[in-house]
Amino acid sequence: MIEAPDLDYAALAPLLFLFGAACIGVLVEAFAPREVRHPAQVALALVGTVGGLVSAVLLAAGRDLTGAEADVTAGSALAVDGAGVFLQATIAGLGALSVLLFAERGLDPARSSFVASAAVPAGSVRDRELLTAHRVQTEVYPLATFAIGGMMLFVAANDLLVMFIALEVLSLPLYLISGLARRRRLLSQEAAVKYFLLGAFASAFFLYGLALVYGAVGSVRLSTISEAVATDGGDVLLVLGLALLLVGLMFKASVAPFHTWTPDVYQGAPTPVTAFMAACTKVAAFGAILRLLYVAFGTDEWTWRPLVYGIAIVSMIVGAVLGLTQTDLKRMLAYSSIAHAGFLLTGVIGFDATGDSPGLSATLFYLLAYGLTTLGAFAVLTMVRDGDGEATHLSSWAGLARRSPVLAAVMTLFLLALAGIPLTSGFTGKFAVFRAAIDDGAWPLAVVALLTSAVAAFFYLRVVVLMYFSEPAGSTGSGAVTEGPTVGVPGLPTTIVLAVTAAATVVLGVVPGSVLDLAGEAARFVG
Amino acid sequence: MLVLLLLHLVAALLAPVLVRWWGRQAFLALALVPAAAFAWTLAQLSAVLDGREVSETVEWIPALDLQIALRLDALALLFAAVVTGVGALVLLYCARYFAPDEEGTGRFAGTLTAFAGSMLGLVVADDLLLLYVFWELTTVFSFLLIGGAGGRLAARRAATQALVLTTAGGLAMLVGLIMVGQASGSFLLSEVVADPGSGTVMTAGTVLVLMGAITKSAMVPFHFWLPAAMEAPTPVSAYLHAAAMVKAGIYLVARLAPGLADVPGWRPLVLGLGVATMLVGGYRALRQTDLKLLLAFGTVSQLGFLMTLVGGGSRELAAAGVTMTLAHALFKSTLFLTVGVVDHATGTRDLRRLSGLGRRLPVLAAVGCLAAASMAGLPPLLGFVGKEAAFTALWDGGLPDRTAATVVLVGLVVGSALTAAYTARFVWGAFARKPDCADTEVAHAPEPLFLAAPVVLATAGLLAGPFSPLLAPLVAEYAETVPFGLPEVEDLALWHGWKPALALSLLTVLAGGALFAVRARVSRTQRRLAVGASADEGYWNVIQGLDRLSVLVTGTTQRGSLPAYLGTILVVVLALPGTVLLTRAPWPGEWRAWDTPVQAMVGVVVVTAAALSLRIRQRLSAVLVVGVTGYGTAVLFALQGAPDLALTQFLVETLTLVVFVLVLRKLPKDIGERHRPRERAVRGVIAVAVGAFMGAVGAVALGARTATPVSADYPEEAYDFGGGKNIVNVTLVDIRAWDTLGEISLLVVAATGVASLVFLRSRTGGVDRAERTRLTEVDRPSWLAAGATMDPARRSVVLEVITRILFHTILVFSVYLLFSGHNDPGGGFAGGLVAGLALVLRYLAGGRYELGEAAPVAPGVLLGAGLLFAGGTGVGGLVLGAEVLQTAILETTLPVLGDVKLVTSLFFDMGVYLIVVGLVLDVLRSLGAELDRQEDEDDPIELNEGEMVVR
Repeated sequence: MIEAPDLDYAALAPLLFLFGAACIGVLVEAFAPREVRHPAQVALALVGTVGGLVSAVLLAAGRDLTGAEADVTAGSALAVDGAGVFLQATIAGLGALSVLLFAERGLDPARSSFVASAAVPAGSVRDRELLTAHRVQTEVYPLATFAIGGMMLFVAANDLLVMFIALEVLSLPLYLISGLARRRRLLSQEAAVKYFLLGAFASAFFLYGLALVYGAVGSVRLSTISEAVATDGGDVLLVLGLALLLVGLMFKASVAPFHTWTPDVYQGAPTPVTAFMAACTKVAAFGAILRLLYVAFGTDEWTWRPLVYGIAIVSMIVGAVLGLTQTDLKRMLAYSSIAHAGFLLTGVIGFDATGDSPGLSATLFYLLAYGLTTLGAFAVLTMVRDGDGEATHLSSWAGLARRSPVLAAVMTLFLLALAGIPLTSGFTGKFAVFRAAIDDGAWPLAVVALLTSAVAAFFYLRVVVLMYFSEPAGSTGSGAVTEGPTVGVPGLPTTIVLAVTAAATVVLGVVPGSVLDLAGEAARFVG
Repeated sequence: MLVLLLLHLVAALLAPVLVRWWGRQAFLALALVPAAAFAWTLAQLSAVLDGREVSETVEWIPALDLQIALRLDALALLFAAVVTGVGALVLLYCARYFAPDEEGTGRFAGTLTAFAGSMLGLVVADDLLLLYVFWELTTVFSFLLIGGAGGRLAARRAATQALVLTTAGGLAMLVGLIMVGQASGSFLLSEVVADPGSGTVMTAGTVLVLMGAITKSAMVPFHFWLPAAMEAPTPVSAYLHAAAMVKAGIYLVARLAPGLADVPGWRPLVLGLGVATMLVGGYRALRQTDLKLLLAFGTVSQLGFLMTLVGGGSRELAAAGVTMTLAHALFKSTLFLTVGVVDHATGTRDLRRLSGLGRRLPVLAAVGCLAAASMAGLPPLLGFVGKEAAFTALWDGGLPDRTAATVVLVGLVVGSALTAAYTARFVWGAFARKPDCADTEVAHAPEPLFLAAPVVLATAGLLAGPFSPLLAPLVAEYAETVPFGLPEVEDLALWHGWKPALALSLLTVLAGGALFAVRARVSRTQRRLAVGASADEGYWNVIQGLDRLSVLVTGTTQRGSLPAYLGTILVVVLALPGTVLLTRAPWPGEWRAWDTPVQAMVGVVVVTAAALSLRIRQRLSAVLVVGVTGYGTAVLFALQGAPDLALTQFLVETLTLVVFVLVLRKLPKDIGERHRPRERAVRGVIAVAVGAFMGAVGAVALGARTATPVSADYPEEAYDFGGGKNIVNVTLVDIRAWDTLGEISLLVVAATGVASLVFLRSRTGGVDRAERTRLTEVDRPSWLAAGATMDPARRSVVLEVITRILFHTILVFSVYLLFSGHNDPGGGFAGGLVAGLALVLRYLAGGRYELGEAAPVAPGVLLGAGLLFAGGTGVGGLVLGAEVLQTAILETTLPVLGDVKLVTSLFFDMGVYLIVVGLVLDVLRSLGAELDRQEDEDDPIELNEGEMVVR
């Protein structure tokens, strides 16, 4: 007889909000008439994500999640602890902003970045007809909500099996929605297929690793693994299992050398989806990496530390150096995301088995700061357009400051933050993770991180130079003026996103104290 | 102090607005801000001289130990006075430098004010990290100032170059600061200097901090950014490159020297680079023809001089260093501003085209000459006082190492001679009348306000010389913090009597004069000695090399090729876990090649087929060969004594082949992409290695087993509780029935997914029944119900006959499998697959209408019914008071049939059967019949009523 596990509904509320909204979204898709679907889905997705955010915040406010009341629930499948809830709130918040980007109807002449009907073959007669139709494949919203729910489950998973299920729940919708761009559909579909095929391999590695760990330990629960590791850390099955689990997770976090899909998928996917992936997936993947390494393998630091150390260096170098030659902004931000994954790993290194891990709180803060900034940067990308959709080629951005000073200023802010210039959130985050690494004696890693930061700063600032100091695109030396890109007037959703992300980038740079304290207090995993 | 900093910030934010309102007069208002700061700084003089420190501390980010700690001591006061004073004057100067309605003035004004603020913050910051923050801010603002309006490529390149170098240095410095802070146990500058740490971390940190100072202050080998940055407007050069930003490095070294000068590596680095920079800068300055570039190289040279002095780490040198810093700020700003006026008045800065300006602009010439005299170190100016003090200190052995002191002294004397020479060249170039050049026209004479700033600065330099004893207490206040020094200290003064230093000074001036006198020969020699490689080119080579590397790597690894991407991941998997496996794995103790030789034969076949699949070009053949590997595996199952698994594997393999064929009809026959042999070889190696790795992991995992397998109890339990002898089947429908329920739900979803990709409008199209009338029209005899609807060319009588004979038999067989599965090989899954294959046969023989005739039912109905059956079994058990999906065994004796044993899990199996049939039907419908229909009717989509497709 199987006993039904105890469910702590207050602790599950954030997840219930998301999955509930997603399920209702599926029903809306099936039964609501087409005209009301879009507003209904947007409202539903926002209720789900904002509800998830609010309930996570209330949960954190109502309990002492870092001490006595940190607990596990649902048959110890889920952890309810400070770090988990912090990450859940981060994902829900970033998710809500992403949904707003999805919902933008004002920028594209066809009123959405998503395709009208995904199943119509690209380039067919029907496809051309639908190109300007105002119809939208509104399944995007429930899919995204499922993905967000999966991510929130991912960071709270207290056993490997739940973690794997969450991985699939978050991945599958992502594969789909990255293929739903309205313009350049073949590119988008190619991106989706690549992401799916490589993602399937990564999931398989994760599963294989899971099986090996189970074989070695006889349990998939993180705390049990931790106990087994403490007594029997060098077991080869365990080490192999850990390595394969990490391959799966690092793939999702787009850490080099498992990053190869990132530029192609980031470029091909609809920009709001790219923003969503860059912000939320990164948070979720790192949440899982932190939990796996700190909780399950925390007693066996020296097995994974050299590995993470090396991967961090590779990721930073690959991201920074390859980013140099990119001429497409979306690709450039993709490489930037790879480099930032390396910086984040620098924070992961700052682990301290005795309890207080400066690395954990630093990484939590970095994830929040990076998520907001990168989301904002992609939101800006959706606004610069030419006749063929978004103009993401660098050359189109030349002299943008003269066309739209405000937009250029906002983008500059985001780029400075990504480069880690003081008084932006990027600096605070970088400083926190590097500090954690140095505290832990890993200063050579910090030196590499800073050198690569300098290289990366070069390509961020190149865009700034281009926007401010170059002749506007379209005008040539001879005086003949051709059509350059235009800067779209954003609707309310994008405006909100830009306002929130820009404000957060500044606030987290100038007065990050309270948020850092929050991350510091939240930085506890239940063992 | 915080208030002053905020005042700068506010002024910077307001500047664009003010400029819009008042035009260039706004600079006058903005100049009040640094002026106020200057006044406040001077007001603190008495307090600081009394040994009291003015400090403020505000918590900023406690979590990171970041605090806004500001502190004004003697050194900070000196630098703050320079920064604010020169800042105010430069802003004043700007009010006339810019044309009244020049574009971008607003932004410029804001940036310059912000820069002044961050520079002030830099010199009063007491927290290491706050210092870094201001440091980076000056970098960013200077980038914006150098880039200026940025119309010109050169300005952009210069700005970027300065930014890259100083940012890289700054970041190195950040790590260094953190390391120094960690090693010393405090992040307060004052505490670090008072009690520095020691050890490797401290040494490495110090060197990294010096990297920041060296790049910022344009030391060799990073000196080249400064001349390039002369693209900036003149006020920027005067402020950033004479008084403020380049002094940041000097300031940092001066600040840290009292505590850190004895850290290993400090003196060789600082003194070596300082002297080298002084010589290189002076040498290069001699051959410049642009006045501004001449001054720029002169600045590089002087910065080397200053670095040597303040970094030497002895009391006398430190005193000389700060005096010289003040002198340099005064005369170099003046000279830059002078050049700006010249440029403004004549439109050129080329000293070969300027002639006779001394007569036409007498005030300017006087100012310029005064400043130049200070630069060359002529009495009675402050420059002379500073240099004199430096020579004295070194002559008396102002360094712990006597030899080093001598070497440095020689270097400084040579450098000073070069300084005197290029100073003469400057004065001559700017103001003298040249015989071979017509007098330069002065387009517009400078206004008094335009001249105010240089005049004030030059006068200050003139007065500071004789009044230098007044400066002495302040300088001494700082110098006394340096631990190392000579017993007797000489105060600053213009006249020290007849000392060796005076002789050295005289020597430098004479040598400089001589060098200037033979300038034609010097410049010829320089041209002959000019080497191809310069540091600047080195920088661009590095940048380009990085670019090229990036392109190369991107080109080889990021081609968008999926196999390449996957290959990367797989190689890493092989490299990391693979190594662990090879080096540490406990291999199973016993290896057995095979149980029967048949296994070996099957193995050979499978491996051969796999190898062939790499070579074959035709898609269909490739799929068939891959199929062979599957069949081979099935044979292995059978040989291992698992008939049920083998049966299922065979059936699945066959069905997969059919689906492949259905899809491949739509694709080109051959695999178009050809790969080079090498590429194929690499892929083959990776593939084989990964396969071997996975196999090895499996072997190790099996070998490592210590626990009893869960399946050990299965045979008994399967019969006792599940009532069946076929363990596989009982496992599926009873022991792990929940899993099966999940899996069949997944099958339903997958089938629906496939169908909905092909059918755009409804879940599945209507059932294609052949119309009766159409069939009767055709009067040919037919073996199949709708066989006549096929194109006669595609019909095969043999196939039709065989289908006719076999179809029902196969169906009966499938039902037999379903029912017998509980005890013998078979079961719902296998039965469903067999039935599905029967449908495949009908479709292949008779086309899409035949499929409709064979199964006149929507696949969705089958799938739904199957799920209902399976789920219903569970609910049924629950209703009857048992567990969900628990098996009940009913035994009874019926007439005719005899003993009947009914196991309720049979109904569950029926659900499975239905779902599998539904799945196959769905696949046939969508990938088979619907694609046929689209082809037949040339209609890619089903249209709604009244919908039109524009073609």
